[in-house]
Amino acid sequence: MTIDHKRINGPEETIPYELFQKLNTKSLTTQFNECSKDGIRKDKRKTDEHRKIFITTGVVSQAKGSSYIELGNTKVIVSVFDPREIPNRTDYSLKGEIDCEFKFAPFSCPKRKLQQQDSEEKHYSAIMKQALESAVCRHEFPNFQVDIYALVLHNGGSALSAAIIAAGLALSHAGVPMYDLITSVTLGLQNGEKLVDLTLEEETLCLSPIADSKSHGIVVLSLLSTHEQVSQFFQTGNLTLEDVVECTHLLTKACKDIVPLIQKTLAKHVVKNVKESI
Amino acid sequence: MALCEAEKTFVLHGVEENFRIDGREREDYRPMELETSIVSHAFGSARLRLANTDVLVAVKIEVDIPFPEKPNEGKIEFFVDCSANATPDFEGRGGEDLAIELSNSLSTAYQSSRAFDLSKLCILKGRKCWKIYVDILLLECGGNLFDAVSLAVKAALWNAQLPLVKSVHVDGNNIEMDVSEELYDCQKLDIKNAPVMVTVCKIGDYCIVDPNQAEEKCSVGSIVVAVSGDRLSTVLQTGAGSLHPTTLVESMKLGHTVGQRLNQALWEALQQIPEDQDVGFLK
Repeated sequence: MTIDHKRINGPEETIPYELFQKLNTKSLTTQFNECSKDGIRKDKRKTDEHRKIFITTGVVSQAKGSSYIELGNTKVIVSVFDPREIPNRTDYSLKGEIDCEFKFAPFSCPKRKLQQQDSEEKHYSAIMKQALESAVCRHEFPNFQVDIYALVLHNGGSALSAAIIAAGLALSHAGVPMYDLITSVTLGLQNGEKLVDLTLEEETLCLSPIADSKSHGIVVLSLLSTHEQVSQFFQTGNLTLEDVVECTHLLTKACKDIVPLIQKTLAKHVVKNVKESI
Repeated sequence: MALCEAEKTFVLHGVEENFRIDGREREDYRPMELETSIVSHAFGSARLRLANTDVLVAVKIEVDIPFPEKPNEGKIEFFVDCSANATPDFEGRGGEDLAIELSNSLSTAYQSSRAFDLSKLCILKGRKCWKIYVDILLLECGGNLFDAVSLAVKAALWNAQLPLVKSVHVDGNNIEMDVSEELYDCQKLDIKNAPVMVTVCKIGDYCIVDPNQAEEKCSVGSIVVAVSGDRLSTVLQTGAGSLHPTTLVESMKLGHTVGQRLNQALWEALQQIPEDQDVGFLK
């Protein structure tokens, strides 16, 4: 994305007021224990339980395909546009390309985000592209690219996973040929516990180590469930090999849990379309 | 690099027989060449040549203000420059995607405080800290960039000398620092657990490490494993293509063992470097 210097970017140096709250003086261990106690989390979920998911298609009338997803508080809107010729390219490419743009809305996070993509958003765009590339039949539209725009309206944790799920659905809504439905789940490790579908608070807690030597980190996995193929895997933190292996198994299972929901949403869309055309 | 079907089959059969096109086994690395302190203006530098891949890394250190949300920590930033010298594809903005991918993978790998402790870079809480700029220049591309870059970065950070702060004076909003005037009165950074990355490629039914360009073209999927000490600090998939969960787990295991060996080898090599050596290229 080109940088727009004419936009007003807001004051350069501001600090979110949350940093001055007394809450921040609590140690990480107590903060984490408040979040997850005896396998029950703050929002009364079990460690391997998803938040409630709402997903629908056809929310942007101008786009070829679009979808909207809510994972608990996380709200993401994704639109997919018609294939167009790859810009600024002279040679012919046999496979079509996918162009992803992941963006946090300025008001979506505790800290205000700028209009232009920052490095985190660029990184997420790259991960999204990686995840979707193996789900789409790219040989069906050679020398063309499909644009996918994901906008996070509210970041309540697991925003990347939500964007990938929604992008998969939006692609099928747009009628882009695909091999399989794609689902994605984020998992966090901290203090020996593995939490599926992280909230924003849990996400920040999983990033830094608590005093003892246990693993901590975040794992994001995207799965093409019918083919049993992992299309994208991303892990940060500091984990033992055994933990990563266990996470992979947990995540594959968690990804499969969402598939029926996506199928149902697509079926609903088809039924609605057929009814309208009669 | 373009390969025809016959060439691809040749590479594939080689991997199956555990005798790759350049005579290596599946878990073998190509020979490497490592030099340190070669850029006199930098605080630390290293050049690594892995077969035809050539990487130059220089570390610059500056004084900065810590992030308000992390007042106790310094900063580290990675910049990758894909010079058009490496391959003509990088001309203009051609190398930008690769550069972003490399620098992102490095910053996620160095994110955990167990991999690299940023709190040691803090000078005065919330007011002053060191910021480390790691500039990575790709001089030549011969495949396996992630591994080469991570090794060179680790060597450059090992080589880096952090100036010693003798005292800090606070006067209202003014902060003055006294830096030791002795040229050799410096601190070394603690990089014992700095991550080392291993690219694992799946070709046919087997996984290999350190792919050359031909092998990269034949692979159906590859992952990058960053090993920090005996743990994993980052795992990410690169390139198009997907993997079965079992393959994913197996390649992570391979990456983990090879990464530890590689880390050990790098550590031993670094210990052999003499303390006072001349600065300059083409020694």
